[in-house]
Formats: sequence, structure tokens, C-alpha cells
Amino acid sequence: MTKNTFSRRHFLGTAAMTGAALASPVYLRSAKAAGGEVNIWTYNDFVPKAFKEQFEAETGIKVNVRLVDDQGKQFNLLAAEAPNPTVDIMTVAGHRFLQFIDSELLAPLDTGRLSNWGNINPTFSESDWATINGSKWGAPILSGMEVLSYNTEMVSAEEAASWDVLFSEKYKGQTAYIIQDMMSIVMLMLGYDGNMVAYMDDPEKAAAIVEEAKQFLISKKPLVRKYYDGGAEVQQMFVNQDIALGHSWNGPAAALINDGFPLAMSIPKEGSYGFVYTYNIANNAPNVDNAYTFLDAILASPEIGASMTKASGFISTYKDASNYLTDLEKASTSFPEEQLANLQFFRAEANELKYNLVDPAVEAVKAA
Amino acid sequence: MTRGNRILLSCIYWAFVLYVFVPLLLMILMGFKDSKFIGFPIRSWTLDWYTGVFADAEVVSTLTYSVAIAVLSTLISVFVGTWLAVLLEGRRFFGRAAIFGLTILPALVPGIISAIAFRIYARLLGIEPGMGAIVWAHAVHNVPFVALVVMARLSTLPKSQIEAARDLGADPIIAFLRITFPYLIPAILGASIFCLLLSFDDFVRSFFLGGYEPTLPVLIFAKLRSGMSPEINAIATVALVLTAAIGIWAERFTRRANKDAKT
Amino acid sequence: MSNDAAARTGTDTAAGTKPARTFWGGLSVWAPYTALMKLATASPRRQFVILAAFPILWVLTQHLGPMLQMLRVSLTDAYPVAPGVEQHFTLDNYTRFFGERIFWQPFFRTLIFAGVLTFCTLILTYPVAYFLARHVSRKNQMLMLLLLLIPFWVGEIVRTYAIMILLGNTGAVNLVLKWFGLIDRPVPFMYTTFSMGVGIVYLTALYMLLPLYSALEKLPKSYSEAAADLGAGAWTRFRRVTLPLTLEGISSGCTLVFLISTGFYATPVLLGGPSTTVFAETIAGFFHVAGDEWPTGAAFATIMFVTAMLLTGVFQKLMYTLRKGDTK
Repeated sequence: MTKNTFSRRHFLGTAAMTGAALASPVYLRSAKAAGGEVNIWTYNDFVPKAFKEQFEAETGIKVNVRLVDDQGKQFNLLAAEAPNPTVDIMTVAGHRFLQFIDSELLAPLDTGRLSNWGNINPTFSESDWATINGSKWGAPILSGMEVLSYNTEMVSAEEAASWDVLFSEKYKGQTAYIIQDMMSIVMLMLGYDGNMVAYMDDPEKAAAIVEEAKQFLISKKPLVRKYYDGGAEVQQMFVNQDIALGHSWNGPAAALINDGFPLAMSIPKEGSYGFVYTYNIANNAPNVDNAYTFLDAILASPEIGASMTKASGFISTYKDASNYLTDLEKASTSFPEEQLANLQFFRAEANELKYNLVDPAVEAVKAA
Repeated sequence: MTRGNRILLSCIYWAFVLYVFVPLLLMILMGFKDSKFIGFPIRSWTLDWYTGVFADAEVVSTLTYSVAIAVLSTLISVFVGTWLAVLLEGRRFFGRAAIFGLTILPALVPGIISAIAFRIYARLLGIEPGMGAIVWAHAVHNVPFVALVVMARLSTLPKSQIEAARDLGADPIIAFLRITFPYLIPAILGASIFCLLLSFDDFVRSFFLGGYEPTLPVLIFAKLRSGMSPEINAIATVALVLTAAIGIWAERFTRRANKDAKT
Repeated sequence: MSNDAAARTGTDTAAGTKPARTFWGGLSVWAPYTALMKLATASPRRQFVILAAFPILWVLTQHLGPMLQMLRVSLTDAYPVAPGVEQHFTLDNYTRFFGERIFWQPFFRTLIFAGVLTFCTLILTYPVAYFLARHVSRKNQMLMLLLLLIPFWVGEIVRTYAIMILLGNTGAVNLVLKWFGLIDRPVPFMYTTFSMGVGIVYLTALYMLLPLYSALEKLPKSYSEAAADLGAGAWTRFRRVTLPLTLEGISSGCTLVFLISTGFYATPVLLGGPSTTVFAETIAGFFHVAGDEWPTGAAFATIMFVTAMLLTGVFQKLMYTLRKGDTK
């Protein structure tokens, strides 16, 4: 990527950024050497190793990390442990808050206890989707989005400007997507609100829209190579050249780009959705004080945010984290301004309505 | 047996060997790829992934943890499964079919369901998540496999032998230990291999019943989140070599022990 | 055959455990032991109770216990129970299954797949086990069997990804075909019923191989030779002598493979195509995507295992009759 094209690319929410005070390199200005432990459920590499070691040395708090691999399993595990969980902090995708909150699995976050809360880009920390029932529920750490990824040796940037290319005869048998996520995008393509918030009072209309999206995907089924579930799968399909393009999350695609694979991402003109991973404190967490100490420490420096980005490919929510990335890493985690304008965030308000309709539709598409 | 048949058979055999070993060799090969993703073409090579495995204390401790769980759960499964097989094979009693059904029940339940059912039940019994809980779940899950394999062998044990022993005054326990048990040993060894494998490879039960220490499959699943990298291939290869070494050592050891006992 | 086998094992045990005889002899006349045995074997009834008590207790508490929990969940309308919500008992979760094609289609597909794959595994591994047991010297048999077992020590996920590297568009098979000039453009092997079958047989072959081998290994060569002396052709000998005598191995291998392959989740999901959804995937969906549908997932799981159990029972009964019929 040349410098010229790079300068036209922008980081998510750059416009909303205000002059941030430089974070202190020492994580804890008032470390009390609390001792004890803190139990965390998170994805691989979401707690940088170097940070973990320094945190343990400075505070005497032992960090126990339990690696999870998907949101559903995490929810099930927590539900099985409730009401007295072993966990203090877990990592939830922001638009799944509601499910956890309704089951009383999360405790509201007292941002007043986090002196470094201000280090988070307000696009993420202060946006309206982050506040539910009048409370904040998690500290945003990484941001992802639904993108169109394509092998640059097979597909042109012009073609990738629209989701339509995913359903074109030209690439028959060379595409892949996650049906669940694609349902929301198809609704957007068809001109509806994929979050379904607009139809909360009109369940019939909501059902009709989901039906339309379902029929669309069924009619396009002969063109698709694979309905997949996880990031590693789509990466492998690209590497093996089983597909030329596909819908994916930006994280796995960015990891391929950073490895030198001829891949690019776009946010097509019809629009797309973004989501945020947050650190949340469990209801009845056994070590609440240590959990707050940990959260404050991990938010302390943009360098920590950058190292999470390096490991996962997702975009850091920290102000100025991009200063610590290489040019290639910057390129793989930023998008042109005009594409970012098409992006909106997943919202949780209508989740119950939405997923009651979408889940059976997904099964129906698979079974068709 | 004609010569042609024999050649055909050996061709099939070697084709099978190829089928099971080629993916394995690919896996080992990919561990040397200098990239974060596996697959062809391989443009440059590195030893870093393999040396990294030994440098990573977490991988090494995870491996020992998984082996310990596999061995402990296998011992329990073999004990219970063999007992069940002896009860069920060749005996007619009220409720036999029901007991047989219950015996194979754990093998019939899809992984995720059995994991959640075990998790709920463990809480009911007051079993804390961790090594003990994983061993328990693996042991229960593997009992059906032992019972089925041992029953198959037991059905071919000539009744006359037991009767002869009983006629000579042996009580049921001695008759079992002297006649039945030695006859069952090949089946028990085979069943143990099943159990060790099933336990060593189990992800979903280990995940739900485990604590903060991951077993090998749990670690691999978590690492898979950030892509199928040569690192995972290197870990799997090292695990394979180490477990194979332990297996060969155990085989040698028991063989020598048997020899010593005989002389 | 039973006489021959009896003679062999009889001499084996006698020769192998000579020094132990004194121990067993000693034990059998040791007063506390004989007293205990007398008490235990006083009546056939008491003997049976002692034999049966532990295993029955085990299956009731350990095997049935967790499943009863699941059964209870499958009969409720909400689980885990959200605070402030009342839980009701209902049969809706079961009726839902029969109501919609999207549910029973993957169900039947899974049963058919499992049956077909079990048969394929049998066809594929029988010659392998036969070759091992009959044409390899006894000394090398164990070694070659162990050699075949090595790949099975690699986890399911890693092996599944290895299959992708084998069958992908830039995979090993396509590379070789291209190198030999047999194809111009890659053959899309992956994400089809074929790739899924290759992956699943790769996982199940072991569970078929071992029971088949142990059945064939026991079979005395003299039988087949005797039949040959009587003028029977190779195929007739196999069909009339070898096959019937290895039915027990076939039956236990098929049962194991069938049971295991109905529960497969990761491999079909990773290697299958858009239209190969298996039932385990449908069930897992209720636990993964939507956290409030545990009861439906539990009900579907119950339907699955009851069916699998019935089929296994019928199959075992069938094999039993076949075996009985042959020995008569």
C-alpha cells in the first residue's frame, strides 16, 4: 500500500476524537498492592502477555485467564454458574448485552471507579447503544465490523463496492458468508433496518422483512460455496483459494492482510454493521475490587490497545492506539471516510423480536 | 488364498496407510511454514513454531494436564465398563434391556448437551469445576465404549472353561480373575486406547467442566479464534510425538514387567 | 471353533501364570477369604445382588442422573430461568420438532449419513483388518496396528484442517493432479458431501478397525484351509466361513461407529457444504445462538438419543439372530 492511498484512509471515529491527555505508562497511580486474584473469561490474545506480567508484578493480583471461543458457550457457562459465578470479568460483544442483562448475569459498570475511562474513544464509550437501562455495562476494548473481503488478484475494488458481487453468477461457487450475519446485511441491502428497531411495534412487518431476506438467500443458495461460522474457516478458504470473496469480520481479514496475503476489505455502499467487544463485570463477581483495578490498568495506555489490535486484527477503541501500529497494520485496520459513513452499529433493543425471527430463518436457509 | 487376491489386499492396505498418513504428514509439514496461516504454497520455512512450543510453559503444562486426565478417567471407565459387561453378557434378568440401554446412554448424547447436563448435575452433586470434574465426565462418557468392546469379547468366551474351573472348586471371584480376566485383556487394552483417545481429544466437556487451566483441545480451540496458524500444527505434532513416546515406553515397560514376572 | 480357542487359551493361562498358582491356592484356602466367599455365594440370589449392585447404582446415578436433568429441562418452557419469570411444564418443545421440515430434515439426513458412513467405514477397513490379521506375521501385527493408530492421536480439529490442506483448491491433491498434467483448473473437492465423508471416515476408521482386527485375529486359519480342501472358492470361503465368524466384530464396530458419527459436530460443520447440515448442528444452534432456547435443544437431543438407542437395539438384535442362525 502506498503512502498516498494510505493518507486517504481513516480510523473509525477519528472525527469524534478530542485531544487526549497522554496516558501514564505506570498503570496504577495509586497502587495499593491489593493481592488476591482476578478471574477473566476472554478470547486468545485479548489480554496481552506483557501487560499481564507487568500488572501481576505491580499489584500482586494474580490474573487467571480462561480462554473462550464463542459468545454462546460463554453465555451457557455463565448461566450454568449463576447466581454465584467464579468469574469477575468477561468479554461480551456489545449487541449481546441485553441477553446477559435480562438474565441478571452482568453488573452495571461504575465508570466513576475507572480513572482511565477517558482514554476510550468517545465514539465507543459514549454512544447511545452502550447505555442500556440507564447504565453502562462494559468497557469497550476492540471494535469489529461486517465487511466484504476479496482476493485482490481475482476481484477488483470496483466490484467490491457493492454486496451484489457476492451474489453474482461470475463468482458462482467462490463465495462464503455467515448466514446469521448476512441476514442483517441482506435486510440493509433490501432497504430495511437490519437492527429491526424500526419495527418493534409492527411484528407483522418485521416477519415479512425477515421472510423476504430469507427467500433472497435461499434463491442465491446455488451460488454459494460455504456457509461458515468462524474466522479461522474463512481465512483458510481464502488461503486455499476455495473462495475469491466473502463476507467476514474485519479482524480475521486484517490478520490475513498483515501476513502478506493479497486480500482487501470494503464496506459496500449499501452499508454494514459494526460491533464492539467489551470487558464486563459479572453479577456477584467474587473479586469486584480487583476487577476494577484490572480494568483501569488495561485502559491506561494506547500501547496496550495497539497490542490487542496487532494480535486480533480488530480495531482498538483506545484514543491514539494507531500511533503504535506499523503502516501495514494501520492500513488493515482503517477504511476510507466515504466507506465509514456507510457503517452503523448493531443495536440490542429489538434483539428478542429479531432473533426469534432470524434464527428459524437461518435454519430454513440451511435446510433449503 | 490366490496370489492375485493377496496383491489386491496389500494394495488396499497400503492405500489405507496413505489415506491416514498423508494428512498427518501435511500437518507436520505445515508446522515449518513461515507464515501465520497454513496452506500451500510454502514460500519460506522456519523452525520458530516448533522451538516456540517448548519455550511456552503453558503448552507443556497443558499437555501434562491432558495426559493425566486421560489416564485417570480411563482407569475408572475400564473398571466400571468391564464390571457392567460381565453383568450384562450372557445373563438374563429382569430389567436387563433397561440396564443395557442406560449403559450406552452417555455415548448417545451429543457433546454439547452432555456437557451442559454434566455441568448442571455436577453442581447438584457439589463437584467443583476443575480436574476432578473433567475426569468424572470423561469417565462416565467413556464407560459405554468399554462395555461394548468387552461384551463383544466376553460373548466368545467358551462357557466350558468357567464351568471346568467351578467344578474344580474355584469360587466366582477366582474363576473370574484366573479365566475370564486374562481372556478379556486384549479387549480391555483396545477399550483403553478408545478411552484415552476420546478423553485426550474431548473439547466440549473439558470446556464446560474445567476451571482456569485449559486442556489441550481447549487451548487449541481458543488459539483457533485468531486463525489456524502453524503454531497449532506444531503443538499438535509435539503432543503426538510425546504421547507416542509415552505409549511406546508403557508398552515396553509392561512387556518387561510381564517377562520379569514369568522368570 | 470354540474348542480350538479353548485349548489355546487354556494352555496359555496354565503356562503363563505358574508361579501365581501358589498365591491363588493360598488365597482360596485362606480362612477370612473363604468365610467371606461363603457369605457372598450363599445363594445365587445373593451372588447376583453383589454382582449387580454397584453397576446398577452407577448407571442410575451417573448415566441417568445428568440425562434426567436434561429431560426435565426439555419439558420446561424456560431455562435457565430468568429472574421474575415463572417456569411451566410443557410438551411444546417436542411437538415443535414434528411441525417443521427444517428440523426433521437434518435429523433424517444425519441418520442416513451415519448409516452410509458406517457401511463405508466397514467396507474400507475390513480388507485392511483382514490383511493385517491373515497376511502379516504375528510378530509384526502389533507393530503395524500401532502404526495405523498414530494419526488418531491428533485432535479432531487439527486433523480436519489437515483435510482442508489436502483437498482445497490449492491443496495437495490438486497440486499433484496439476503436476501430472491431469487437470488445468483445480477440482473443487472441499465443502461437499465427499469432503465431509473423507473427514468423518478418517475419524471413525479406528473404531471399526480394532474390533474387526480382534475378531479376525481369533479366527484360526485352519478353518478356511479346510474349506479350501473341500473345494470352496475364495469368495465362497469368505462368505460362508470368515464373514459369519466375524459377525460379532462387525456388529460391535458398526455400533461404535454409528453412535459416534451421529454425534459428530465439528467435522461436518467444517468440511460440509451449504446443504449438509447435520442434526448435532441444529441442536447446538439452540445452545449457541439463542441462549433462551435450552429447552428446545434439550428436547431435540432427547429425540436424537432415543432414536439412536432404538436403532442400535434393533441392529444388535438383528446381529444376534444372525449369529445364532449360523451356529445352529
